[in-house]
Amino acid sequence: MSTLTKPIPYDEVRRDLWRPLSGASPTYLITLLVLSAVVLWGLCAWGYQLYEGIGVAGIRRPVFWGFYLVNFVFWIGISHAGTLISAILRLTDADWRKPVTRAAEAITVFALMIGGLFPIIHLGRAWLFFWLFPYPNSRLLWPNFRSPLLWDVTAISTYLTGSTIYLFLPLIPDVAQLGRHATGWRRRLYRMLSLGWTGSDQQWHALERAMKLMAATILAVAVSVHTVVSWDFSMSIAPMWHSTIFGPYFVVGAIFSGIAALLIVMSILRKTLHLEQYLTPHHFNNLAKLLLLMSLLWFYFTTAEHLTVWYGNEPKEMNVFGARVRGPFAPYFWTMVFCNFVVPFVLLGIKKLRTITTATIASITVLIGMWLERFLIIIPTLSFGRLPAAWGRYSPTWVEVSITCATFAAMGVLYLLFSKLFPIVSVWEFEPHQGPDA
Amino acid sequence: MTDTNQPTHRWGMAIDLDRCTGCQACVAACHAENNLPLSDPESAAKGRAVHWIRVDRYYEGEFPNIRVKHMPVLCQQCDEAPCEAVCPVYATYKNPEGLNVQVYNRCVGTRYCANNCPYSVRFFNWFDPVWPEPLELQHNPDVSIRMGGVMEKCTFCIQRIKRAETEAKGENRAVADGEVQPACVQSCPAEAMVFGDLNDPESKVSRMAASGRSTRLLEELGTEPKVFYLTRAT
Amino acid sequence: MFVAAEFRDREGVIRALRDLNSDGCRSDDIAVFSDEAIEFPRDALHRPSHMSFVVVMGAITLCLVAIGFVYFTQYNYPIITGGMPTFSFWATGVVFYELTMLGAIITTFLWFIWESGLLRRGARKPTPTVEPGLIALRVECESNRSDGVSDLLRSAGAVNIRTLG
Repeated sequence: MSTLTKPIPYDEVRRDLWRPLSGASPTYLITLLVLSAVVLWGLCAWGYQLYEGIGVAGIRRPVFWGFYLVNFVFWIGISHAGTLISAILRLTDADWRKPVTRAAEAITVFALMIGGLFPIIHLGRAWLFFWLFPYPNSRLLWPNFRSPLLWDVTAISTYLTGSTIYLFLPLIPDVAQLGRHATGWRRRLYRMLSLGWTGSDQQWHALERAMKLMAATILAVAVSVHTVVSWDFSMSIAPMWHSTIFGPYFVVGAIFSGIAALLIVMSILRKTLHLEQYLTPHHFNNLAKLLLLMSLLWFYFTTAEHLTVWYGNEPKEMNVFGARVRGPFAPYFWTMVFCNFVVPFVLLGIKKLRTITTATIASITVLIGMWLERFLIIIPTLSFGRLPAAWGRYSPTWVEVSITCATFAAMGVLYLLFSKLFPIVSVWEFEPHQGPDA
Repeated sequence: MTDTNQPTHRWGMAIDLDRCTGCQACVAACHAENNLPLSDPESAAKGRAVHWIRVDRYYEGEFPNIRVKHMPVLCQQCDEAPCEAVCPVYATYKNPEGLNVQVYNRCVGTRYCANNCPYSVRFFNWFDPVWPEPLELQHNPDVSIRMGGVMEKCTFCIQRIKRAETEAKGENRAVADGEVQPACVQSCPAEAMVFGDLNDPESKVSRMAASGRSTRLLEELGTEPKVFYLTRAT
Repeated sequence: MFVAAEFRDREGVIRALRDLNSDGCRSDDIAVFSDEAIEFPRDALHRPSHMSFVVVMGAITLCLVAIGFVYFTQYNYPIITGGMPTFSFWATGVVFYELTMLGAIITTFLWFIWESGLLRRGARKPTPTVEPGLIALRVECESNRSDGVSDLLRSAGAVNIRTLG
């Protein structure tokens, strides 16, 4: 199925998609500057935390995990954007994914890099984080592979390696082309990255085969990664954490937030890089329908989880449930339901209302709602533990808020730099194909 | 790791809730014995107070017929401790005498163990501890000072256990029942707390644990704690 | 001796490839250069690949290495933790799964580098510069056969037929 109203001439495609790589508008530079400043502020906050001690954060007994773990789960969730779009749609031969794949894959890699920092940031003695890796040492000790945190380390390392390779492989033909037309340091960079790509059929066949295998593998890894992250919580016996639904619940939530992030990024790219011909309303329509589907799935899982807890009426779990639904966390809970279900249902379910703008608005609310969902999974359970004498309330400090904001800014910075160096729409995949499915 | 003529111990504690008056002498003694970081009202308000043993108060009934139950809660030294399997660096494990041991210099501070403990008996050092003068002169030289970023909890005064075992081995005898007394047990004015070897069926703690009033905290979780609470008879 | 030519469309290339095959040229001597991935039928261009098999082997290898490594480390310094045996297949099964996938990923990447011929040292065959949008064909043959090959390509619809290095 063609995604273009009319085929675009070859030269125009390359010109449009290569134009963002040269020059930098004032808007770009100012945005980059502001975001970099926020990132720098976050780094200073982390440095302060390393120097003074992790007590500068708001975490306390019994809420030993706070914003940092919320952000960790959130960003690893966002990283499922690339996997869904690239892998699943590639495996099902859905052509409309083609202009979107590289943007999605870039989101995955950057989100993983950011999310993978948080297990280090939240450590009490962060400079010793390498003790979680197996290496022969003078203490003759090995890490505890039975701990879900070690499963995290393995899963995220695997996913990061896989996503980086998955982003790099289809980049090779594009940088090879760029290398022929670039000058100066860019030429050297593109030449080096293209590994000597000449475009021979042998290389194309190898690339296509590798991409198919990677798509299947990366899909399997992505499902397991967020399941493993969810098992940090569900392997514990804390009330309302020890639930079998966490695996699928988190994967669905991850894909949900990933699509929302992708939609927002695509919206911004479309506007700022003038890619209206390549990121068409058709693409946004499809992504919006996917977002609506994930919203319904998310609602199903949330209902199932809460209904079983409420019906079971187990006292320790009902404490946490009541805190979420009626108690101190109720404003956040109902905001989450509104953002994750009501807004997408209305804006995306009603065909007349489904436009690029409303899809972007719905995506922003979904990201807010999903961040709140991670918050509501972690904090209420820890605040209302099994012994009421040890209950306690958590409130974040400026350090945690700064680092949280800095991660969003870091995503922006990485994306700005990436889109300046490499074409954000994959040129070779996008060009009208002379094959049998043209 | 035990000598052939020294028996293997399995340390346990029994607390008679009928005798406990809630005076919190045990709390103060533990602070003194184990070099606990300073806990003042400010840190308590922030949830940062460290009390390896604490006295939980439960109120039953309506005014004026209120009864107060005092329950000293300390690390239960579970046989099936949920905190141990989740530590990624093996900073906590069960030693051959059944104690749940916390290795301070191995801990990197993930705090997963504290989240998994259903009794909330684990405490974290959020900062390097600071004692205003002259309190640092009062430190117990047998107990290490923990740095910031490290988890800590009740050890059943393992330093006292080790001292008794060393003395007994030097004198070529077994450790006598009642010879080892953690600070809390030693300081209880109502003699509500008893400590001893659960492997010895004649020890006072074994007999109390076998009593009809004996129960354990959150037993349904299957953690197999080694602290036995004797419910009130009145 | 290398003969290079350019074609406007895929059908022309397939015609030329079939003609070259019946003329006796092997697929190893032929290379097709393009700006995008193009599918060719098996009888036109034969490119066997072992990638799937190698990747599965790589995955299984790393899986077995992972199981062995975890087993060794758990027993090397056995530490008792509550409610969990020293080596638990289920508790560490996730680690095995992830490392299996990592084996598949790394093998895919390395075998891709190998099979595509990228990063190879040594003399490389000359690459014809191809006009954007066109498909280039390069045939390696003896000098005495180059005229015959050029005629064959012309009759298949090629433009810009020339010899390289």
